[in-house]
Amino acid sequence: MTSTAPLPTKAATRRNNVATQRETQIKKRYTARLRRGDLLETIVYFSVAIVLALFLADGGATYFLSLKDVTTGIGIVTGLVGSDLMLIMLILAARIPVIDRTFGHDKALAVHRKLGKPVLYLILAHMFLLMVGYGIAQGLNPIAEAIDMIVNQQDMSIAFIATGLLIAVVVTSLVIVRRKLSYEFWYIVHLLSYGAILLALPHQFTQGMMFAEGTWARWYWMALYVGALASITIFRVIIPVASSLRHDLRVSSVDIEAPGVVSVTMTGRDINALRAQGGQFFTWRFWAPNMWWDAHPYSLSAHPDGRSLRITVRDLGKGSARLLSLKPGTRVSFEGPYGIFTDASRTTKKAVFVGAGIGITPIRAILESSDLDPLEATVILRGSDAQDVYLWQETYDLCVEKSASLRVLVGHRPKGVNTWLSAEAYSKGESLLTLAPQIKNSDLYICGPTPWTDLVVRDAKRLGLHDHQIHAERFDF
Amino acid sequence: MRARSAFFAGMGSAAIIAIGWQAGVGTLVSALPESQASASGTSNSASSATTSNSSTSTTDTSAAAPAATTAPVASGPADGTYDGSVVNTRFGTVQVQAVISGGKITDVIAVKLTDADRKSIAISQQVAPMVRSEVLTAQSAHVANISGGTYTTQAYLQSLQSALDAAGFTG
Ligand SMILES: Cc1cc2nc3c(=O)[nH]c(=O)nc-3n(C[C@H](O)[C@H](O)[C@H](O)COP(=O)(O)OP(=O)(O)OC[C@H]3O[C@@H](n4cnc5c(N)ncnc54)[C@H](O)[C@@H]3O)c2cc1C
Repeated sequence: MTSTAPLPTKAATRRNNVATQRETQIKKRYTARLRRGDLLETIVYFSVAIVLALFLADGGATYFLSLKDVTTGIGIVTGLVGSDLMLIMLILAARIPVIDRTFGHDKALAVHRKLGKPVLYLILAHMFLLMVGYGIAQGLNPIAEAIDMIVNQQDMSIAFIATGLLIAVVVTSLVIVRRKLSYEFWYIVHLLSYGAILLALPHQFTQGMMFAEGTWARWYWMALYVGALASITIFRVIIPVASSLRHDLRVSSVDIEAPGVVSVTMTGRDINALRAQGGQFFTWRFWAPNMWWDAHPYSLSAHPDGRSLRITVRDLGKGSARLLSLKPGTRVSFEGPYGIFTDASRTTKKAVFVGAGIGITPIRAILESSDLDPLEATVILRGSDAQDVYLWQETYDLCVEKSASLRVLVGHRPKGVNTWLSAEAYSKGESLLTLAPQIKNSDLYICGPTPWTDLVVRDAKRLGLHDHQIHAERFDF
Repeated sequence: MRARSAFFAGMGSAAIIAIGWQAGVGTLVSALPESQASASGTSNSASSATTSNSSTSTTDTSAAAPAATTAPVASGPADGTYDGSVVNTRFGTVQVQAVISGGKITDVIAVKLTDADRKSIAISQQVAPMVRSEVLTAQSAHVANISGGTYTTQAYLQSLQSALDAAGFTG
């Protein structure tokens, strides 16, 4: 008998080809991003190496020939490395597009935050060691030397003030993390870091040899300072202002989604030029009385259609509550788009999206703008009751359109169990793996409250997912 | 960061630091007392003392004759006043003279100090005596920087070192 095994049809082969092509494309994009990331990280290491090299080239090693100069030598090195890293912190917070596209805005800020304490310690060590080192040279104790520095030496008084500001910035940043201070207070104090940098600058000219004429160090430090301050000015001031003026966004409608949750739609000029993607966020400022001074980050809740942008906001605090009373016609200025909680960070073809509460907003938008073949995506939604699953109808329709499987877990978490599942799902023995059987070969996108998000991440890692497969957007800074 | 890139970043950084070290070796060697001793022959430098920078030469070169014949201090520098080189800084020109007597630095005379503005004059007046006394105690141009007067100190010591080199003074 002749075999009846079906030969692959032409259409099936073509479909397969397209699928592998897409897979290769995703892999290529991912490798390119990795390579870019490695390059940027390498630049950071090199910058520290260059600082040390310039110090040595300028005869820095002579400080380490005699014991009494070693203190001074280390004091100078800590100051140099501290300054270098502080400028790198600025660059990380400048929202430079290539950094955002490579690491994501949140990772860049995480590194920025991580550097804060070490940089402060380096600067304090610099100050202390030089007080001791120069003090020994002059036969003064460190306190007397400090007083002598402040009173007699050029630009040293303001350098001491700069250190004070720096301490204030780091301490308030640590406190704000524990939620003891308001965001606005932290923000104002944080602006002082620019003051600290500017106040510390003169003593680097007059006391140190950082900018000594005719040295390579001079060019290196000038480039670094100018680069850091210019990127802040360009990417955080000039471009946002220009972009806001150009696109001339205005609120076109405010729709209530649920009690305390509104969708704000904004229309403007030339929206396509923003190249915004579902899953990205902007920092928005609404020019209404009582609101204009307060800017907040909100994710797009829909893929931009070329004419309008939409966000969906829950009243979690004073600022977000004010959006409920927003009037159509209000002018909007913005910074963004930011973030790679998008298709751009995909590493493979399949994807699982997990959202809770208002965290559904970027999940819905990324689902809409993602390149997905049928049956490649799974969407898991959580809400403490059915009303808490916002944008539910829209998400349902999208899943039907994309042939994605959709699981909704409603209800509170079981008491006394550390899980992100609802009590009902938990008792039925559900897990990430039962809800999304393809998860091990998928990218996982998570958005929800941070403690909840952490539990999803924990389960994903237990299943063996790699860090690069896991993408989480956290709504709290 | 992937392992290969981390390796590259590490090696690259090490190479950069090594280049800096290499570039700094000159300064380092001149700061090492021993290497100077081996580098400069006595008679050589004694004779160069009379030629170096002496255009403005003033003062009593009391022991102008090469000291090669005086047996006990044969390896020491000749007594005399030696002009240091003229060093330019962004705050003005610095030049000092070293007075050598009996194989020791007995005085350092500031011919010219940073004077670009009132501030640098003040710094010069404050810093120079401190460096001078440090130098006299240490009997070398290798003394710690005086903070607050880095430019003046460095230029002062650089000028002094050239005077000491000219004298064949090796500490
Ligand atoms: C990337 C990102 C995307 C977000 N997307 C959405 C969204 O789509 N929908 C939504 O409802 N919420 C979203 N949020 C959360 C939203 O920004 C905050 O809930 C809102 O700023 C709270 O402001 P408030 O004045 O109402 O609350 P407050 O009472 O001021 O504070 C409530 C909480 O929000 C934090 N917060 C306040 N202002 C800011 C700010 N400017 N930047 C960062 N955190 C701040 C505070 O630290 C505090 O934890 C997002 C947050 C981030 C970081």
